[in-house]
Amino acid sequence: MSELSFRAPGEVIDANVGVGHRHDRPAPFEDAAGLLEEMDRHGVDAAVVYHVQGESVSALDGNDLLREWVEDQPRLIPQWVAGSDPATHRQLEGLQAEGRLRSVRLHDTASCRAPFTDWIYGDLLAWLEAEGIPLWISLADNDIEQMADTLGRYPELVSVLVGAHYAHAALVRPLMRKLPRSLLELSRHETPGDVEALARDVGVRRLVYGSFYPRYAMGPILYYLHRCDLTAPQLDLICAGNVGRLLGEEGG
Amino acid sequence: MISGTRVIDAHGHVGHWEVLGMRDDAGEILRTMDRAGIDVAVVFGIFHPEGRRSNDTAAAFVAAHPDRFAALAYASPLMPDGMVPELRRAIDDLGFLGVKIYPPYTPWPLDHEAWDPIYAFVEERGLPLLSHTDAGDVSRPAQLAAAARRFPGAAFIAGHSGNMEPARSEAIQAARELPNFYLETCSTYRTPGVIEELVAGAGADRVLFGSDQPLMDPRPQLGKIITADLSDEEKRLVLGGNAARLLGL
Repeated sequence: MSELSFRAPGEVIDANVGVGHRHDRPAPFEDAAGLLEEMDRHGVDAAVVYHVQGESVSALDGNDLLREWVEDQPRLIPQWVAGSDPATHRQLEGLQAEGRLRSVRLHDTASCRAPFTDWIYGDLLAWLEAEGIPLWISLADNDIEQMADTLGRYPELVSVLVGAHYAHAALVRPLMRKLPRSLLELSRHETPGDVEALARDVGVRRLVYGSFYPRYAMGPILYYLHRCDLTAPQLDLICAGNVGRLLGEEGG
Repeated sequence: MISGTRVIDAHGHVGHWEVLGMRDDAGEILRTMDRAGIDVAVVFGIFHPEGRRSNDTAAAFVAAHPDRFAALAYASPLMPDGMVPELRRAIDDLGFLGVKIYPPYTPWPLDHEAWDPIYAFVEERGLPLLSHTDAGDVSRPAQLAAAARRFPGAAFIAGHSGNMEPARSEAIQAARELPNFYLETCSTYRTPGVIEELVAGAGADRVLFGSDQPLMDPRPQLGKIITADLSDEEKRLVLGGNAARLLGL
């Protein structure tokens, strides 16, 4: 393979992949086979997947639909979406009882017009904190001031901050200081030189590779990470080790 | 250099915009270019409507590293009297290779006559013109295409290729119809398959790699090209061959 092509050589877990059709955006693939082929093309071994129907329409439906995607697919690690309705909380408790809940993703509180406040989501957050279940939350789809205030009330809750953009450049470090148990997912983080700088400033154990596929292509950020000034162990942590640790994967 | 290909980044900035993490430290930019394998970056400033301050900053980059930076001249119809004289200074005295315009900082769409003196200038000189394009009211690729039709002696480059739909399809359509219309790739919208779509729609000889550095790190933008499902020959054209031809580099 020439340098004009790229496929990740080491273990990679993509921490941020949406599956299924969204109400306003059909999926590139009807089922897992196409997604697995795309993962193979870029050298992605496994992916944390959620159903995009849960982003802004129905977490309940999305979580039901996700089961079809992950059935008999050990490379697809299911992530269940939490909404503001207490019914989604009950659904998550059921999944926990089945032993299937390893991470939760907050729905898009901005477009759902259910602000991310303690008086709406407090019961859910207290439960996740008590159960030791990490919460993925998108900076692209939630109010950042609400995120800082509300998550700050649950100091033991581990959160993965998804989709920081260059427009968030001034906010990333203060937010990670405010939320010392948070990790940063890197799918949209293109601030120049900042992966290396963050590895120094906040530590490599707080950085996670994700693509935000299919909003964004799977390969470019993975390529970027492999062109960063990082040691091999640091790269391994970002590409797989950190998310594996959060999800309780063997070797993570 | 990547696999024997001289890589030219057709879209780079000078100037500070620190709230977005953008700092024009030439040494840091060069270190990142070296890590990425980028040989030459084409830079310009857009923050000063009189043009002179931005152009002098870009000229300092080129003077300090003439083998690594080239520059485009900036002017704005917000200050129409000085527009063409400043472009003339930048091209004739500073040795810039073309012109950059940024319509979102003005009230005038790209097909408005306020831009005509700039278009006439680049046509008279046979220069390339890079314009920001997106789906906004003043920056549509279709508006730039209208200008490209009226000024066929200049090469028009749609920065960001319209950025997102439906502007992206407009940009592709314009490149298909007009021999003097080109597409540039940098965008925060890294949609799956976007580079393949640009090349399939416009032809590999019409697409130029750009990164938007130092607003964005050039490595993910480069990764868009490297991880695209294209032939090596197509990638070589996009990464540098087309920019070398168009800009005379």
